[in-house]
Amino acid sequence: MSKPAMQLVNLKKTIGNKPIIKGLDFEIRAGEVFGFLGPNGAGKTTTIRMMVGLIDITEGDVLIEGKSIKTDFKGAIQHVGAIVENPEMYPFLSGWKNLKQYARMVEGVTDERIKEVVSLVGLEKAIHEKAGRYSLGMRQRLGIAQALLHGPSILILDEPTNGLDPSGIREIRKYIRNLAEKENVAVIVSSHLLTEIELMCDRIGVIKNGELIAIEEVKTAENKEGLKEVYIEVEPMETAKAYLDTHLDNEIGVGGKELSMSVKREEIPHILKSLMEQGISIYGVRVLQATLEDKFFDLIGENTIE
Amino acid sequence: MSNFMNLIWNEQIKLYAKKGTWVMFAVLLALALGGGLITKFFGTESDFKEYGDDWQTELQAENEELTAEMENDEFAGFVNEMVIAENNYHLENNIKPLPYDGWEYVLENSFLTSVISLFTIIVAAGIISNEFKWDTIKLLLIRPISRSKILLSKYVSVLIFAFTLLVFLLASSWIVGAILFGLNGLNPMVVQDMMPGYVQNDVLGEIVKSYGFGLVTLVMMATFAFMISAIFRSSGMAIGLAIFLMMAGNAIVAFLSQYEWSKYILFANTNLKQYMNGMEPPIPGMSLTFSIIVLAVYFVIFMAAAWAAFTKRDVAGN
Repeated sequence: MSKPAMQLVNLKKTIGNKPIIKGLDFEIRAGEVFGFLGPNGAGKTTTIRMMVGLIDITEGDVLIEGKSIKTDFKGAIQHVGAIVENPEMYPFLSGWKNLKQYARMVEGVTDERIKEVVSLVGLEKAIHEKAGRYSLGMRQRLGIAQALLHGPSILILDEPTNGLDPSGIREIRKYIRNLAEKENVAVIVSSHLLTEIELMCDRIGVIKNGELIAIEEVKTAENKEGLKEVYIEVEPMETAKAYLDTHLDNEIGVGGKELSMSVKREEIPHILKSLMEQGISIYGVRVLQATLEDKFFDLIGENTIE
Repeated sequence: MSNFMNLIWNEQIKLYAKKGTWVMFAVLLALALGGGLITKFFGTESDFKEYGDDWQTELQAENEELTAEMENDEFAGFVNEMVIAENNYHLENNIKPLPYDGWEYVLENSFLTSVISLFTIIVAAGIISNEFKWDTIKLLLIRPISRSKILLSKYVSVLIFAFTLLVFLLASSWIVGAILFGLNGLNPMVVQDMMPGYVQNDVLGEIVKSYGFGLVTLVMMATFAFMISAIFRSSGMAIGLAIFLMMAGNAIVAFLSQYEWSKYILFANTNLKQYMNGMEPPIPGMSLTFSIIVLAVYFVIFMAAAWAAFTKRDVAGN
């Protein structure tokens, strides 16, 4: 496997006597979109702030392209583009002048490059307006633009779809996928919008109370045991339930006009067929995917902040 | 290095993009203009008087007139005595009095350096804390540039701003003065009342000196405000503290002057003018060298504290 783009090594943060981050160990590979998931107060933003050197690392290290953010800040950070929490811009400067500010701070970002990035995030029309007049969505786009200016190999986006409308979200998602797949950029996306993470990411790491409690591939995250939640609208209800109770091992739930059960995909036709043979009318069948959301709540339990 | 120039360029752009900065220039211009108009229309007549070839006789006649006036009107005494003393200085040293001119106006306006100090304090107080207020500090510090360099670029920007204000004040005073009062040549001599008596000097030297002394307070207080801004990340506190101390500084020193250690107070040392013309130091044991050393120590402490606060501390969320 190729060298990881970013590596967290036993990363710890203690504020006062209170451990905030309790030893994170994971890596992000080039060309993947990594979802950083966790409830509020779990330590996502603290971790991101340590990744970009905004706050001190109590113990452990963050290695970016092999360089330590602690001992070689410039060498490490030059590979990173980031939004940390809300992308705040200078409200009295235009979008363009905001980008120029950041362009001047690194070598070799030309006006052509700025234009390219501006059109990438679809901000051409408003780029010469004052950033103070931008909507949250526009600021978000400008934030992404500033993170991309210098062509980083690692992109860290904290809640990137915050404030975007659905079409904007789809655009950004497509763009992030594109960056990872075509330009081999490692993208770290933190979010609590679970469906977003699910659609965008290759892998997710779940953090709770400063600890990584799970890290898995998104594709295998669904249907691990192959069980699906199936809802069948039937009449008469009692006959159907009584029949299924005697013929299936699974537990049968009743909700409204529907019966619910967890079964394997291949069992579904058999169940329906036998119900019809019993003279039971079936008005509808729906299959619920086991979503990341369920997974997420399974993993973290309640949203408690210690 | 070009990198550093870019940082300073960035700071200047941010500074001049704000209306408040332009208001500062407008206020200075208004003060230079207003002061000129007041001097022109309400100034003492004798100041503008042009003397002929027979100026000695004219001065003597003037002195007699003033002495006579003093006998009739006891309240005229103070001003008249000063004019007589000045006239006598001219007579004794055979210096023909020149009318008030634009150069002298520039020299008189050196007291406006305290207004420049005020504006510089406001800018110094905001240049770090505003980044925290706007929350732009996060995006500023995740560039491949060390925090020390960013801090230094901000400090240098403050000094450049102060210098720009100073040049602007000099230029506008000079233009206003030249238009309203004319100029007595390129570098005329001026006669000034220095506490032990009257002295004649060339005006450019005097302008450099009096503005230069004003700059000492300016730099020290701006550095102080810069430090407070870096430590507390709040511009209100930095402005308030710095302006309060600047205003109350002399009173604090006077209040504590009975103690021997009061000579180590910053404000006892910011006025270097006190060592000119053989004046006695306000507190025994002080000298020009002493004050410069004390100022240097304060300066280093301010900068070190600002640096430690800016480079070492976490930039955490709200």
